[in-house]
Amino acid sequence: MLRATGLVKSYRAPSGGAVRVLRGVDLAVKGGELVAVVGQSGSGKSTLLSVLGLLEDADAGEISYEDVCVSALTRSAKSRARGRWVGFVFQSFLLLPSLTALENVLLAARYAGRDRAEARRRALELLEELGVLDRKDHYPQALSGGEQQRVAFCRAVLNDPPLLLADEPTGDLDDANGAVIFDALRSRARAGGAVVVVSHRPEAASGATAVYRLRGGVLEA
Amino acid sequence: MVGLRRILHGYAFAIAGIAIGVAGLVALGAMSERIVRFIEGGDRFVLGQISVAGRGMGMGAGFTAGGLLPAATIRKIAAVQGVAGVQPQIMLPLNPSTSQFMTLTQELVLGLDLSVPMPNRHYRELPVRAGRFLRAGDRYRAVVGAAFAASRGLRVGSRLPLEGVEYEVVGILERMLTAPDRFVIVPIEDAREQWVAKDRLLRTLLASGAVALTAADLNTGAAVGWRDAEDPDTVARRLVAEVSDVNVQIPSELSRLLRSSTAFFSALLGGIGALALVIGGLSLANTMAAAVFERIRDFGVKRALGATDLDLAGEVLGEALVVTVCGGVAGLGLAVLLGVSVDAWAGRSGQQLFHFSTRLVAGALAFSILLGAAAAAWATFRVVRLSPAEAIRRGA
Repeated sequence: MLRATGLVKSYRAPSGGAVRVLRGVDLAVKGGELVAVVGQSGSGKSTLLSVLGLLEDADAGEISYEDVCVSALTRSAKSRARGRWVGFVFQSFLLLPSLTALENVLLAARYAGRDRAEARRRALELLEELGVLDRKDHYPQALSGGEQQRVAFCRAVLNDPPLLLADEPTGDLDDANGAVIFDALRSRARAGGAVVVVSHRPEAASGATAVYRLRGGVLEA
Repeated sequence: MVGLRRILHGYAFAIAGIAIGVAGLVALGAMSERIVRFIEGGDRFVLGQISVAGRGMGMGAGFTAGGLLPAATIRKIAAVQGVAGVQPQIMLPLNPSTSQFMTLTQELVLGLDLSVPMPNRHYRELPVRAGRFLRAGDRYRAVVGAAFAASRGLRVGSRLPLEGVEYEVVGILERMLTAPDRFVIVPIEDAREQWVAKDRLLRTLLASGAVALTAADLNTGAAVGWRDAEDPDTVARRLVAEVSDVNVQIPSELSRLLRSSTAFFSALLGGIGALALVIGGLSLANTMAAAVFERIRDFGVKRALGATDLDLAGEVLGEALVVTVCGGVAGLGLAVLLGVSVDAWAGRSGQQLFHFSTRLVAGALAFSILLGAAAAAWATFRVVRLSPAEAIRRGA
């Protein structure tokens, strides 16, 4: 499903010099696999996930989704590729504060051009599966962190994307809520999805089909 | 409906900021429009007739200020080629003790010879809001301007004492936002009595029998009309050449004079208007752009979910339209509320400070919408240039 080769990414430091975060990362993830990328804070895990999800461009290297080279697409085509292939779960949930839980979930369907009624039905199913159906009309600020992340997970999988990228998905959660989210990610992989989780927490590796450590800008098995 | 409510909720501060900017813009614009209407009204009036007064000074007021204009002279004027009609008039200060003050809103008594149609091409008759205009044969009846009536609480049927005589108010003019708003219009016969009562010199002169004057000679001026296809300036110059002892106001020269005398106000109001545009415009643009930048993280999230630049631009411009229309309408409402409140207070003395013209309202709305949309478009352009990851980071 996902193939990345030779990914290089640098940032410009305040001093003007370049900070090389990724120094030639290769990664392949098939459907049904849950890949955990662990590493210390600041090791470049989030950057790797952003690059894999086309949220920012790599300086060099190539990314393919289902054998389509998406890293060479135009900006608009990359946006459409994200909507078609990728679901994101962020550490800080990133729910839109002006939308209710249900509307946040349905936001994913808006840009995919899905039928509204069908998307709504599916969104309600997902919210029920994650145990937050009774909070569907609440705004994010009225939800706990665990509830917000469950809603964010529903949003990430609403369009049934073949690739799910989770960036420290339990970083702001307690253990109980963290376990719920990891279970959901594993279920996703069991259902045939390709899942990449980056985390500095060791339990992220639990149930993963492959675990990599990002150190010095390269992935180590 | 839900979307609209959400936009109103999400952009409440932006809408409030825009409303205040637009309110300031419209309020200043309405004051400017008020003065412009006054100047334009005066211009329209003087360009619609040739005003003639007797040669001299010290008699009459307004555009009939000058000397006595006897009946014989009026007959001479009527005989000049190109003249279509002459209406003898008397224009007197209502209160002579304040008539010398420089003012744009002088209260005047206008006596009209009602046996002659009004020759002014732009005012064949003055618009009456309540009651009726004067008719030939009326005596001790008056039609008053809107501001004059408001300042004294006059209605149709009210009694108005003038030089010790009670007049019945039979009509109130529509508010014209120009000089007639402060006029008391009476039959010329009544105006002659008032003139004699006001002017001791004239009384002394008449009592002495030194000059042979009849009532018909007591005119301070005349409104002169011209025939179709005649050039009014040419007719006016013909009057100067052919009729002695008259002050003739050339319409185009009088118009220029009027404009130059009000040039200071025009420049002042133009400056205020430009300042209002700049301040209101900057406030509006800044508010709208800030509202877009505040949502930079939301845009990053939406792009992560598959929104293209075009999707976001459409959303932002649609929202900007709603926000600026709401802010613009709220600002207009605020300005009108302010104007109506101030005018209600000022109206007790017959003043009106604001005029919310259609062009002002439409212009302010169009201005706020266009500027708001432009600011939103600029801000969106800046935002969509960022990568989704950068947008999310900056908005965190």
